[in-house]
Amino acid sequence: MSNSIKLESPLQYFHGSINKSSAPDSLFNGQIDCGLVIKEAPLSAHLNLRGDADDSSFCSAVAAALNLSLPLVPGTFQRDGNTSIYWLGPSEWLVVDVGGDAAAIEATLRKSLKGHISIVDVSGGQTCINLRGVAAETVLKKSSIYDFEDWDAAKATSGRVVQTTFAKASAVVSNRSDGSYDLVIRRSFADYVAQWLLDAGGEFGCRIEKG
Amino acid sequence: MSQFRSINRLPTHTGAAIDFTFNGKAYQGIAGDTLASALLANGVDVVGRSFKYARPRGIFGHGAEEPNGIIQLGSGAGTIPNLKATQVELYQGLEASSVNGWPSVNVDVMGIVGALGRLMPPGFYYKTFMYPKKLWMTYEHFIRKAAGLGATPVEADPDSYDRLNQHCDVLVVGAGPAGLLAAREAARTGARVIIADEQSEFGGSLLASKQSIDGIKAAHWLASLVAELKAYSNVQLLPRSTVFGYYDHNFLTVLERRTDHLGLTSAHQVRQRVHRVRAAQVVLATGAFERPLVFAHNDIPGVMLASSVSTYVNRYGVAPGNKLVLFTTNDNAYQTALDWHQTGRDVVAVIDSRSNPSGDIVAAIKAQGIDVIAGHGLIEAQGNKRVKRALIAPINAAGTEVTGAVRTLNCDLIACSGGWSPAVHLSSHTGAKPVWDESIVGFRPGESKQQERSAGACRGTFDLAGCLAEGANAGAEAAKLSGYGEGNTQFPVCAVEEYKEQPQQALFLVPHTKSTSRAPSQFVDFQLDVSASAIELAVREGFESVEHVKRYTALGFGTDQGKLGNINGMAILANALDQSIAETGTTIFRPSYTPTTFGAIAGRDVNNLFDPERYTAMHRWHLDQGAEFENVGQWKRPWYFPQSGESMQDAVNREGLAVRNSVGILDATTLGKIDIQGPDAAEFITRMYTNSYLKLAPGKCRYGVMLKEDGMIFDDGVCACLGENHYLMFTTTGGAAGVLAWLELWQQTEWPELKVYFTSVTDHWTTATVTGPNARKVMAKVCSDIDLSNEAFSFMDWRDGTVAGIVARIFRISFTGELSYEVNVPAHYGRHIWEALIAAGEEFNITPYGTETMHVLRAEKGFIIVGQDTDGSMTPADMNMDWVVGKKKTFSFIGKRSLQRSDMLRENRKQLVGLKTLQAKDVLPEGAQVVFDAKQTIPMSMQGHVTSSYYSSSLGHSIALAVVKGGHSRLGQIVHCPLADGRTIAAEIVSSVFYDPKGERHHV
Repeated sequence: MSNSIKLESPLQYFHGSINKSSAPDSLFNGQIDCGLVIKEAPLSAHLNLRGDADDSSFCSAVAAALNLSLPLVPGTFQRDGNTSIYWLGPSEWLVVDVGGDAAAIEATLRKSLKGHISIVDVSGGQTCINLRGVAAETVLKKSSIYDFEDWDAAKATSGRVVQTTFAKASAVVSNRSDGSYDLVIRRSFADYVAQWLLDAGGEFGCRIEKG
Repeated sequence: MSQFRSINRLPTHTGAAIDFTFNGKAYQGIAGDTLASALLANGVDVVGRSFKYARPRGIFGHGAEEPNGIIQLGSGAGTIPNLKATQVELYQGLEASSVNGWPSVNVDVMGIVGALGRLMPPGFYYKTFMYPKKLWMTYEHFIRKAAGLGATPVEADPDSYDRLNQHCDVLVVGAGPAGLLAAREAARTGARVIIADEQSEFGGSLLASKQSIDGIKAAHWLASLVAELKAYSNVQLLPRSTVFGYYDHNFLTVLERRTDHLGLTSAHQVRQRVHRVRAAQVVLATGAFERPLVFAHNDIPGVMLASSVSTYVNRYGVAPGNKLVLFTTNDNAYQTALDWHQTGRDVVAVIDSRSNPSGDIVAAIKAQGIDVIAGHGLIEAQGNKRVKRALIAPINAAGTEVTGAVRTLNCDLIACSGGWSPAVHLSSHTGAKPVWDESIVGFRPGESKQQERSAGACRGTFDLAGCLAEGANAGAEAAKLSGYGEGNTQFPVCAVEEYKEQPQQALFLVPHTKSTSRAPSQFVDFQLDVSASAIELAVREGFESVEHVKRYTALGFGTDQGKLGNINGMAILANALDQSIAETGTTIFRPSYTPTTFGAIAGRDVNNLFDPERYTAMHRWHLDQGAEFENVGQWKRPWYFPQSGESMQDAVNREGLAVRNSVGILDATTLGKIDIQGPDAAEFITRMYTNSYLKLAPGKCRYGVMLKEDGMIFDDGVCACLGENHYLMFTTTGGAAGVLAWLELWQQTEWPELKVYFTSVTDHWTTATVTGPNARKVMAKVCSDIDLSNEAFSFMDWRDGTVAGIVARIFRISFTGELSYEVNVPAHYGRHIWEALIAAGEEFNITPYGTETMHVLRAEKGFIIVGQDTDGSMTPADMNMDWVVGKKKTFSFIGKRSLQRSDMLRENRKQLVGLKTLQAKDVLPEGAQVVFDAKQTIPMSMQGHVTSSYYSSSLGHSIALAVVKGGHSRLGQIVHCPLADGRTIAAEIVSSVFYDPKGERHHV
């Protein structure tokens, strides 16, 4: 038995993948190497949080525990540094802490939350990827029927989020203040989504890098 | 006539030379040509042969309406059949051939024998080819070849395609004068605008127009308007893009041809893209098709639409002949005579069906010294592969009879115009029934069913000034309704000088000196050789509905979908039925507007992306081991792990024996897992399963079965109590999403008062099942913080602990009947834990096994698989699982009431039993029918069927599970399974538990 513990992120085997087969050189003008760059933020803490949004003590307890206010406006997220809370539904949120410790976050939340709540560590089941580059919006349009153009630009501390179809899988898509997009995708669909992105982004040049 | 010549190219028109071949012969066109214009420039008269009669046919139109120039582009994998030469942009090296011209368009084999015509009167499909049915395949092959429906490539498509989901406030369909102004008005308001046009250049009719707008030549005005639109960041221009379908909720599909005009060498670029547009508002500005006139032998090459002749002259610099006769029912077409006159070629005469044409343009023509012959019809064209003569005769004012002597005009080109038919197709897709309007002699779009409006010629407005104004208004209105602007136009009205037109004549069938049935064929639908007499024949045979006549005659069935022929055909039908056109109505236009490739519809959902493949964290390990995979839902699960030289049965025998005798390991990650939290979790779960979970203690698991309301088994699995108000529910692999939705449905709609939350954790956990007599020894090597003894950690318990350095959750659940540990870790550690367990089990020859062995092992134990041994009509009692139904539950559970229905209590329901074949090596096919009397004559009384069947290496004989009527009281009886190959296999009904019936092995 091996002594070293080997962790594998969902896109482990795609880090360094590139598809430029159909991208004309003229696209790049020497400025950028690919129209779409996908970066995984691997092995982050992901927690699904359920609770009553109408219960102000629940909302304030979450805010106190995470030092971040709970987004109550549908389709929005709040962010502070590496921690984000995404609105998923009227009583459901996704907490992502890049590089964070899910068990510690869960413990903190459980300590301050009372009553009917649910906290579930789903870190193993999903991963966060960032889509940046001139082709990012076009590739989103290829992949999802959602109208991302309709969103207002994101701020550093807040923005828009939607759970929607992504090709034949699903994703939680949100925007960033730098114009790029974050996707939270399911682990078992990660290979499919990576292959889809490499294929759909191929005409612009597309690569996947490790975060 | 057909020798190589480019003499039809007007000297004023120049461009870079482009080489191409047609039917194997080399030609040259110039940049900007379509295949059709290049062929006409080269004097190629015959481009195909007709469907039934194999008559030579030439280019007739200049766009989507073209019925004759149907060609096969390229060869090999990239070949495309049935393109219209008028829509194929010429590129260097283009290779095209006629789809119909066997053996050659210029050899008259088919023509001489009369081809299929005599075999194929209207309704020929019904009359001739329906019987005998078995010959249909033969007929079809023959018809396809002779009729020339083109050849589909047999190789895989080398091109790539994709889809783009678009959203806009205003979608403008068509970039002619109306569409362009609509787009400009909408753009100005800040609305998101998409404007699509099927041609390579925007402009529509303006591309071939010599008119001036605002004192500027149309071409220049157009260029500056297009540049203006391009400058808007909120406007997306889509040339070479055909809106081919209009669906509910203002959803439209647009086919963009991105590389077709560059040739067939673009394998690495997206060849075609379907834009799936969801538009708040739509402006249809799709223009109109000129209507041909139906006269005898109107199909001879050299007969063309008047507007097409003008287009070839003005836009492409091609004059497709020398001596023109123009035949018209309206003022509009006179422009063609003017255009032709300006090429310096001869206008023999203008034949006008109206007795006293007096419009300004008529005067202008006369002023050029051109002969206008009024009150006449062009009753017949003559010639073989090219028009040589036109026969004209005076006709009565109603246009129904020849009233005087026939004269002959020598000519080689006949341009005809019966007026214009609005392109109401897209409006019709929405379900709006077109409305006949006598004043425009055409169908206008019906009342809108969607958020759309028509503007310009497609609405029956044919003058340029009217089109421009309507377009501008429509754009402003659409923008306002989508929330932009005030609805008033922002730009000044365009000033246009145009001739004031006099009323046209409605003339759908030009009379001949002979009756319709005796006159030479007067073609209505060129592509399918439907003549006026065929429509009249259909009426004589009793067809009255336009929909029936369409199908009986095949009118409008070609790839042009009757864009030219439909109106004339319906008018002729109306006349034959002695009713009005409005009463007769039109057939319904449906998507696609023009033929669309399957590739474009499939997009990227092909090959490995056709359907998502879901992988577990150990997938690459399985690959490395050479596993064969089975699809379970979208998951790829290892099916079996063949070693070199092993057959599937060999591998499954080995894997099964390893589990029974030592230890095996299964990737069980794919089972659905739902985390359930809340104070009412136990109550809720108890309502969902047939048994109770109210007293399930933390650290314990219980197996449960879920029913639908009808009492039938829906899913099964184990549910564990993780802590106070906290549970983990396992579902079947395929049922995971359905079960989660089922739980949410009941909680949200029926029992919202129960406080419980559900979260899918299927992907979070990776599960490795270690099973077999040596399982504990393997676990002991990697787990030191759990007391693994049977006393401390019993069957149906779970424990948290550390496995190979990782925090893990271990369940003692068994689907094999052996001592089992299901080790769950967060999926990032999945491969690590798997490899650690494999390493730990090495000394026991731990054997990875797949789903096939899993199936055999569980069948040996009589464990059912929902969906295999059940089919939605099985109750727990049917499965001999009454023990799982809680009798003392205080609250009901879903399906309980249904279990008491009389049919559920019937004694001869199909019940699960084991079958043991009398010959140990005989393995029954799954699905085999069970009968009690093997000698009964057919039809035999089916008494049940085999649901699972395997060879059991552990038992040394075959085993099967079956559902048999009254099976539970038939133990020991012999039944028979008659097979498709004629054999009958006899088997004994036995208990469904074949192995370890007392269940001792998993309790150790």
